[in-house]
Amino acid sequence: MSKSLATVFSGNRLSRLLLTLTVATTIQPVFGLSASSDSGEPANLTYHSNVSEVRLVFFATDEHNHAVEELQNNDFAVVDDEMVIRNFSSFTRADLVKLDLIVLMDSSESMLPLFQQEVADIQQLVSQWPSRPGDRIAVLSFGGMETHLICSGDCRSSFTAERIASLPKGGATPLFDALEVAAKTLIQRKQPDVWPVIILFSDGDDTISKTSLRQALQKIVASEAQVYAVDLNRSERASNGSATLQRIADNSGGRYLGINEGAAGIFHHLLDDLHSARVVTYRLPESGSDFHSIRILPTHNLKLQFRCRSGYYYRSGSAD
Amino acid sequence: MKRVFLLIFAVCSLPGLLAAQIGVYQHGKVVRMHMGECIPAGHGFMATFGGPSTPVGPEPCPEYTLISDDVVYVIVGKLSSSLIPLAETIDFRLRKNELAVRVDDAKHEVKFGIKEMMVRSEWDRLQRHIEEKMRAADDRDADVRLR
Repeated sequence: MSKSLATVFSGNRLSRLLLTLTVATTIQPVFGLSASSDSGEPANLTYHSNVSEVRLVFFATDEHNHAVEELQNNDFAVVDDEMVIRNFSSFTRADLVKLDLIVLMDSSESMLPLFQQEVADIQQLVSQWPSRPGDRIAVLSFGGMETHLICSGDCRSSFTAERIASLPKGGATPLFDALEVAAKTLIQRKQPDVWPVIILFSDGDDTISKTSLRQALQKIVASEAQVYAVDLNRSERASNGSATLQRIADNSGGRYLGINEGAAGIFHHLLDDLHSARVVTYRLPESGSDFHSIRILPTHNLKLQFRCRSGYYYRSGSAD
Repeated sequence: MKRVFLLIFAVCSLPGLLAAQIGVYQHGKVVRMHMGECIPAGHGFMATFGGPSTPVGPEPCPEYTLISDDVVYVIVGKLSSSLIPLAETIDFRLRKNELAVRVDDAKHEVKFGIKEMMVRSEWDRLQRHIEEKMRAADDRDADVRLR
């Protein structure tokens, strides 16, 4: 598995700008305009115009949830703040070369019966990850009132049994606070060619956060991260926690996974997304609000499914 | 049994195929889309303007702004799954206070309630007015930032 990931990465060493949305500014010179200078001789004037552009990374799958290999720019339309956009400035495969990955581990009271399996899955995930220059992996645990950093950078050597045993376990579940901490960290070190990802292991039942779910979702959208939410509920019945995890994953354009998927399953889904990610750019549509909701819908084949984050913030002169 | 299914299929797809052959479809383009309140099933244009009706479910329904050569329609799906492909041009026809959109790949029609209608020239004028106002607001913001 790690070998195939390494192949993907080594094949994608292009320094293309990446991931989700950034609002880029293009300077467009206009030629053929002239005016007279003071000396009476004609002087060429160049007018500059700022054009704001939306850059959006998305994933396309068919009705069997398999990645779509052949996708043309007329197979889909973007609905940006209700406006249907079909004319794109560019459409390419996203060359996802570097990864900024934060693993969030629920160590609260409700998770203690499953804690050993959770740790084993994360250890497997960290150890399988190929060590490549530019990648970042951090593992944080949350329980009680706080979020604790377990390891950062090279987690293979520092994510040890001793380190985990020394951490506080049990207590309440500050899930939304932990998500906010992770999103803020990703925002602080955001780079255009790095894919920010959060892998969240939890039962989804927040019990104590100061941050609301809405605030956490806003922060995740601003970080441009995809959340892969691993549901640790074993119950067959649908729970509020599972619904929360589903919402967090959907809102970010990530995936909702069951505990039975294990580390290998998560790895497989990440690889799938690395292969199938596309990036589209288009001119920023005019809008009266700061938040632009986004949806991608098919133009012909209604069986195609598209995943992307739920929107972005844009204020005149700045983008979150 | 197979023949019965084929017969049922042929009968179901007949209205759409006939309409296509006789050329009753108009052409239009979807320019806006959002998920909004549903129009109760069995109600169309008259119900929208005819006072209160039965409450609708919690699921939002897709609402599209469809522009044709002469008229602009705001149409609402009856179900949250009443999606139409957002192709450059779509075929539709008016039928019993409803608007039926042909889904070309699926060879069937999806019916929508009509929420609003406007003459195209009036809609174009309104859009120009909105664009001018937004541009003026942007210019004002830029002036404030420069000061």
